[in-house]
Amino acid sequence: MVRLQAKDLQIRYADRTIVENLSVSIPDEKITVIIGPNGCGKSTLLKAMTRIIPHQKGSVVLDGESIVKEPTKRLAQKIAVLPQTPESAGALTVGELVSYGRFPHQNRFGRLTKKDLEMIDWALEVTGTKFFKSHPVDSLSGGQRQRVWIALALAQETDMIFLDEPTTYLDMAHQLEILELLQQLNVTEKRTIVMVLHDLNHAARFADYIIGMKFGKIVKSGPSEEIITKPVLRELFQIDAEIGEDPRTGKPICITYNLVRGD
Amino acid sequence: MIEKSIIRKQRMLLIVFSFLILATAVIGLGLGYSSVSYDRILPTILGQGEFKEEFVLFSVRLPRIVITLLAGMALALSGALLQGITRNELADPGIIGINSGAGVAVAIFFLYFPAEAGTFIYVLPLVAFIGALLTAVIIYLFSYSRTTGMEPVRLVLVGVGMSMALSGAMVVMISSADRIKVDFIARWLAGGIWGTDWPFVLAILPWLVVLIPFALMKANRLNILGLGEPVAIGVGLSVQKERIVLTLAAVALAASAVSVTGGISFIGLMAPHIARTLVGPRHQLFLPLSLLVGGWLLLIADTIGRNIIEPNGLPAGVMVALIGAPYFIYLLTKK
Repeated sequence: MVRLQAKDLQIRYADRTIVENLSVSIPDEKITVIIGPNGCGKSTLLKAMTRIIPHQKGSVVLDGESIVKEPTKRLAQKIAVLPQTPESAGALTVGELVSYGRFPHQNRFGRLTKKDLEMIDWALEVTGTKFFKSHPVDSLSGGQRQRVWIALALAQETDMIFLDEPTTYLDMAHQLEILELLQQLNVTEKRTIVMVLHDLNHAARFADYIIGMKFGKIVKSGPSEEIITKPVLRELFQIDAEIGEDPRTGKPICITYNLVRGD
Repeated sequence: MIEKSIIRKQRMLLIVFSFLILATAVIGLGLGYSSVSYDRILPTILGQGEFKEEFVLFSVRLPRIVITLLAGMALALSGALLQGITRNELADPGIIGINSGAGVAVAIFFLYFPAEAGTFIYVLPLVAFIGALLTAVIIYLFSYSRTTGMEPVRLVLVGVGMSMALSGAMVVMISSADRIKVDFIARWLAGGIWGTDWPFVLAILPWLVVLIPFALMKANRLNILGLGEPVAIGVGLSVQKERIVLTLAAVALAASAVSVTGGISFIGLMAPHIARTLVGPRHQLFLPLSLLVGGWLLLIADTIGRNIIEPNGLPAGVMVALIGAPYFIYLLTKK
């Protein structure tokens, strides 16, 4: 039984159809990574599956109920979303920002309970941002800020976390740090993680399941070994890739690539 | 979660502005025509004044002070809410066309529905209110799209366009009307606070009594709205619903104020901005402060305006605009 499924999805911005007739199931308690060229609709799919944007046709069903019909607050207790480059949090402190992750669990007056405070501290702890709790978010570096936003998603205490390019703007070490944090959450806490990534080798290394998209459709999906292959990458990105095996992880790795010319 | 030092600062500023309001009110009482001399204010309030003193204090000056304060507060809160909803610090009830809507309704009523003088002044706030509300509904319908919902930026643009169109309609109407009638409408538009009798307090007070606690209850939601739509939806805020409810509240506040005071812009722009600069962007802290700042600004504008030019003075709306327009330009250039 898969908890989250999209069926015959059509998503349009104004007159442009971004995603057409797309069906997908998100494997529970796994890390799913969506890859694809720019403009293929991967971010759009991620947003539609988390009701950040509406879809025009088809359905997104979580636990047997359409996400459009379910109260948005109750949905926020099940799914957390970290959008691509969130807005500036201004003068808010790290602690305050992360406390908003408790919104779906609060009553109308919004007092923080002991449980809320514990969850906030836990989220700061695991993301390594506890030290900055009373610092303004804007005073942090890009990597620290990204971890704070992840802490906000964690404080939401959801089984599923969706992230849109969580490693953008980070250097190599910080990218790995974020991905390892997510992997650890997946392994130790059985959280379902769905993210859009640009780096194929990160996708291959961290994903249990990869969805390859192009022109608003899913070209192929499956484990790394089936997606990070010469023919699939050629079809997805128009690249001629040299695939090897990562000597440390045993996962496929794209060693080098050229653009496919001609045909 | 909010740092204690900021909370303490906010408390201090609330006291400071309360004091400023009180001081401005007292100074204003002793200035200009039919004033009460300073050493007679306290005895008169305690019921030991002469008839003239009592009349001036309780029937002329106090209602005007109270109305001005309340209207300033309502405009400030309205502006603060609109800025929170649109995430644009330049939003103001005047800018999104509410003043013009009320103005046109007043003009139509005044020119085409001759009423008796007695009932007339009490119907006028209602007419202005209906005009403002209708305008808001039209602006809302135009800025709502079925695919993307209500877009804050479009709300502002449609509002500006609407406000221009209504001003045009106003010129057409006025150009075909009597001199005397035009005079009243012109004064209304300039924001000369005219509803200066106790019953007018009743036209505005209930809105504030209901909507101030309502806005404070929504403070945290407004903070979350400030983080952008994706984040707000992500943590489970019904963004569309909150925007609609808060917009209605902002319109009601502005309409109730403008219906009694005439067209006053910029208070809704300046007061929240000043409050935000002083205590930061958290709504639970800066909303209460904007109320006091807004009330004080309008009070001081009215006090200065009344005494600056003999005999009729300058309408408060003009005074506010004299300070507000440069402030608006300053905000624009700072962006």
